[in-house]
Amino acid sequence: MRRVSLLRLIAVFTWTGFSSLGGGRSAYFHDALVRRRRWVRHDEFVQDFTLSQVLPGPNFSNLAVVLGCRLAGFAGGVWGLLAIVMPGAVILLGVSALYARGAFGPDATLLMRGLSAAVVGLVLVTSLRIVRGSLRGGRAAAVALLTFVAVGPLRLPTVAVVLVMAALSVGLQWSAPAPSPLPRPARPAEDP
Amino acid sequence: MANLLLLTWTFLWLSFLCVGGGLGVIPEMERQAVTIHHWLTAREFVDGYALSQLTPGPGMLVAVFVGHRAHGLLGAVLAGLAMFVPTSVLAIVISHHWEQWRARPWALAAERALLPVGVGLMAGGVYTLARTAIHDGVTVALAGATALVVATDRVPPVVAVLAAGAVGWLLWR
Repeated sequence: MRRVSLLRLIAVFTWTGFSSLGGGRSAYFHDALVRRRRWVRHDEFVQDFTLSQVLPGPNFSNLAVVLGCRLAGFAGGVWGLLAIVMPGAVILLGVSALYARGAFGPDATLLMRGLSAAVVGLVLVTSLRIVRGSLRGGRAAAVALLTFVAVGPLRLPTVAVVLVMAALSVGLQWSAPAPSPLPRPARPAEDP
Repeated sequence: MANLLLLTWTFLWLSFLCVGGGLGVIPEMERQAVTIHHWLTAREFVDGYALSQLTPGPGMLVAVFVGHRAHGLLGAVLAGLAMFVPTSVLAIVISHHWEQWRARPWALAAERALLPVGVGLMAGGVYTLARTAIHDGVTVALAGATALVVATDRVPPVVAVLAAGAVGWLLWR
């Protein structure tokens, strides 16, 4: 099942890859696919985001693969990955060559400090948007909070935290009354 | 040749350590590249990480930078392939099947159970970024201003981020 054509997917993913500077790059995907184009529903994005976090490998490329698969099947996953990684890889290769010749001065460092501060503001807003409406009930909120404290302030190893918290979350689910299933209406995949 | 293999192998297993955000793997990558294998200096590694953040695409492209410092073009290509290809193949296979699995009760339960964990990881990622990026009044102001501008939805995020970076550069210069 293809929601969008491969060409459109490649175009949008390439642009998303190009325009994603700084950390927290999933934010750019949310903006491009959920808010601007409505190719992916919010709850679908959160599912894919979670899957991309839990799977081993770089987050952003995993997210590109998972979203690509959702939008255009197997080919979408492959082309989504290439579209996200290749342009940046070529650029960074060029930058590495320049760096090897000593072409970077203190100005670049200052610009980078400003960019990374701004990125925190961006990911804060996007994360709040993603969180809003995706946590159902006090148990889910407690699991999210514990996970945050463990990997954030406590700096515990992520793998261990995910294993423990996933087990805890499954256990809580088991003992909780079954919630109503998430709505999954079909949505036409076209650009507004 | 042996060194190229070692480089490829190191980034291959490092890629599988990237769970829940690339930042988590950075300390181990630095230990391998700087302390153990001497592919580059600590200063170069920090610069490389910063440059990978500044250039488009995944932050884990820092592997390309390290590979280039270690072995030139071939090192860069091999390190990049090792970082992205195996885990992406795994991601494609799993997400391909996930579409079929997600109709089943256990998959729905797993998805519902993992959702709050994912939200917590995301919040942890914001915290980790902020811990290194926010350290004085100017950085707080830049982050706050960017958040407000992005929240209005009037400006593409990349424009807001670049503008804030330029303002910071002007203030600090």
